[in-house]
Amino acid sequence: MGMSTTTEALTPVRSGVKAKAGSFLRRTWPLHLMLLPAVILQFLFGYLPLGGLVIAFKDFKPYDGIWGSKWVGLEHFKFMFEYPDSKQVIINTALIAGFKIVCSIIVPFVFALLLNEVRRSSVKRTVQTLVYLPYFISWVFLGGILNDMLASDGIVNSVLKSWFGLEPILFLGDGTWFRIVVVVSDVWQQFGFGTIVYLAALAGVNPSLYEAAEVDGATRWQQTLHVTIPSLAPIVIVVGTLALGNILNAGFDQIFNLYNPLVYDKGDIIDTFVYRTGILNGQYSFGTAVGIFKSVVGFVLIVIGYRIAYKLADYKIF
Amino acid sequence: MVFRWQRMLSVSLVAALSLSLAACAGNNNGGNEPANNGGNSGGNAGAEANAGSGEAASNANVDETGWDGKKYAEPVTLTTVKGVGTNYYFKSGETMENNVLQKYMKDNLGIDVKYDWIVTDTNDAYKTKLRLMLSSGEKMPDVITYRGDMETVNMLIDSGQFMDVGELFDKYAGEAYKTGVALNPDTWLPVTRDGQRMALPVLDYAYNDDMLLWLRQDWMDKLGLQAPKTVADFEAIMDAFVNKDPDGNGKSDTIGLATGFKNTYLGWMSDISWLFGAYGTLPGQWNKGADGALSYGSVDPAAKQALSTLKTWMDKGYISKDSGIKDEVSGSELFTKGQAGAIVGRNWLPDWPFGDLLNNVPGAKYKGYPLPAGPDGKIGAQSGNPSVNGWMLINKDAKNPEALLRYYNFFFENWANPQAGSEFENGFAEGYDWAKLPDGTITKDPAKDPDLFPDYADRTHLVEPIYYSLTFEGARIPSLYADTMIKLASGGTPETPYEKQTAGVRKPENIEAMKIVLDQKDIRMKNYFQGPLTETMKQKNELLNKLINQAYSKIIYGQSPIDEFDTMVANWKKSGGDQITTEVNEWFQSASGK
Repeated sequence: MGMSTTTEALTPVRSGVKAKAGSFLRRTWPLHLMLLPAVILQFLFGYLPLGGLVIAFKDFKPYDGIWGSKWVGLEHFKFMFEYPDSKQVIINTALIAGFKIVCSIIVPFVFALLLNEVRRSSVKRTVQTLVYLPYFISWVFLGGILNDMLASDGIVNSVLKSWFGLEPILFLGDGTWFRIVVVVSDVWQQFGFGTIVYLAALAGVNPSLYEAAEVDGATRWQQTLHVTIPSLAPIVIVVGTLALGNILNAGFDQIFNLYNPLVYDKGDIIDTFVYRTGILNGQYSFGTAVGIFKSVVGFVLIVIGYRIAYKLADYKIF
Repeated sequence: MVFRWQRMLSVSLVAALSLSLAACAGNNNGGNEPANNGGNSGGNAGAEANAGSGEAASNANVDETGWDGKKYAEPVTLTTVKGVGTNYYFKSGETMENNVLQKYMKDNLGIDVKYDWIVTDTNDAYKTKLRLMLSSGEKMPDVITYRGDMETVNMLIDSGQFMDVGELFDKYAGEAYKTGVALNPDTWLPVTRDGQRMALPVLDYAYNDDMLLWLRQDWMDKLGLQAPKTVADFEAIMDAFVNKDPDGNGKSDTIGLATGFKNTYLGWMSDISWLFGAYGTLPGQWNKGADGALSYGSVDPAAKQALSTLKTWMDKGYISKDSGIKDEVSGSELFTKGQAGAIVGRNWLPDWPFGDLLNNVPGAKYKGYPLPAGPDGKIGAQSGNPSVNGWMLINKDAKNPEALLRYYNFFFENWANPQAGSEFENGFAEGYDWAKLPDGTITKDPAKDPDLFPDYADRTHLVEPIYYSLTFEGARIPSLYADTMIKLASGGTPETPYEKQTAGVRKPENIEAMKIVLDQKDIRMKNYFQGPLTETMKQKNELLNKLINQAYSKIIYGQSPIDEFDTMVANWKKSGGDQITTEVNEWFQSASGK
């Protein structure tokens, strides 16, 4: 009621295009004002620091400042590609991130479909909340918990030993197992969030489609196959496209809290590598150069992914 | 009319929102602006003491810095930053910025310490914050105190924001401080740049960082084992710990040595470098060879022998299968959980973390032993810079740089070794780190006499205000600790307050351990490289450390054959190791030749 009064009252009775544009601003300026803090923050913390990218092309010494440091051109990029470990680190990153992206699309998708079939809404809601919970736990804690659970005398190995008679597996000390642990634990932590996105999309499917399918004699499974999945396809493609940008983000906090020298060859990723060189050895310029490289690759992939999505699903985000 | 109100409301909401945002931002930028602690009433200890020494400062004695011999006539401010250690406890209502020590120093010396920021120092948070401060080119406070790796100190020095402290030291440092520094001829070496001394050393008790072997004495007694003289003896002991069920629970769930080398093979606790020492080298540091040249211990042929021994220990279950994914602290938990029967660490381990062992395994007993010798009779263990534990840098633009030395002098003169009957005889402040029982005896046990330690909920730890000091523990005279422990260990009666305190606080195992350390002090192997990172180190350290750590771990875990060591060394040399060796020796020539 209050709303309608406001709108009415705020709309002055005038005519003419000019007056209309003016009146629009006059009507909505409180809303614009409310936006202002966000714009300022975004500018301060999102755009202003972009200027710092320039240090990737300089030999940055903190005490000389950004402007005082010497220009070195593409030196740091050259160093990055000549670094003996670069190839391995990039491959590790892409592999781990790739698996994470694929799994984090499929798992929540399937889970949302299954959850959607649950009749009792109390069960549905409880499950939804439970799987969402790990999303809020920091990797510092999860890392400690996993370290204990996966230790050679931890709970997982004890179960494997007493139930299957297996020798203890060094989950965090073996490269292949390490990758599996990283992907699985990441999916476990994240899939609750994805599930919510898909459930929201499911709620938006037009019920008349199901009614029509039912009239045509479609079974539950056929309805899922021919109504639900096609309706969800666009959102899957959007999520997938956006995720492509993260192909070189394999998750710093997770890996950092789990890795060790035994799994360097299969578990070391760009971010942990940059942490060791950039922060620990004070090579800030080099770290920034790697960051730029990551962003450029991510950007190119998003653009390509977006084009493909547009072609395949006729979906436009922008 | 309704719409007006709504409009007003939304506008004022926006205004309030942006104001509060601005306030947040302001707070973040300004760091933790100290609360106006000056105006607070009831600075108990400080006020009392002030009243006691209520002589008016005669202006005649005031020097050009405003110091009258005991106090600044006009209070001066020192700004700094702080990493709050996990052993700092506060009474309710007190903080780093507002506490009994802070008030005492302000009231009695006229030195007001203010903090630009404060961080709880877990996971190297203080170091990270300092480095971020450097990388963002932030303005440095008057004083930075740092305890930890030399690399951070070097980065701070290289920032060019700090002054040559040599002249200050010569002019203002007190006798005790100067004597302590003179104990070790190399004290200034790490911070000397072109003959200028760029940081003041924080002195600590000498030999406090030296390693010895700790064994579960109850297990030793139960299995009838003797003190290990050699590594072979020690292996026999570990074998018994693993196979003879020393904890008597009928399960084979015990191991020999608690260790964790995820981060380094030169650990400050749960150490394994001593095994390398038994073969004549120490990993992760620069050792001096017979020819006088420095070489990197991790690529020494002796390290290969140590690794192959370690591998057999892993195969036989003497060390945990998880040792390669544990750091120093989580490694020590193997011992304190009662799973491992041995650990190598410092003399003060009974204070921490062995308390956990007694909680987890009631009735457990531990005892220190000398480190065992290798097959050729060699014994080697790490040693820090014997009497330095941290550095203090002073900003070029500090208004009163000498105030730091006066602050430190005060603690050397009044705190480090107080005379009987003096102000700090029993501790810093009554009701904090000591209290007087009705019969006049002194107690330091808040668990027993909670009423005497008011405003403090956690009864398991003593509140020790001295930790709040700018100089970490007030001041420590390097030789005092070892001298006192030796005196006590050989049955001497404690006389001075310090000796009495030490006798009262230190556990007998700790005192005994210190004697072992001093009996064995010739096994110390110094890290001879104390300079800033060389050019090649900056570029290649990451790669080289990775090469070494990866090869080491894989050899110990049997994922690579032992000869992988030689491949790694060849790789290390050609990937920059040779170059670094040259640079390190050049530094050593120039630093020691002067």
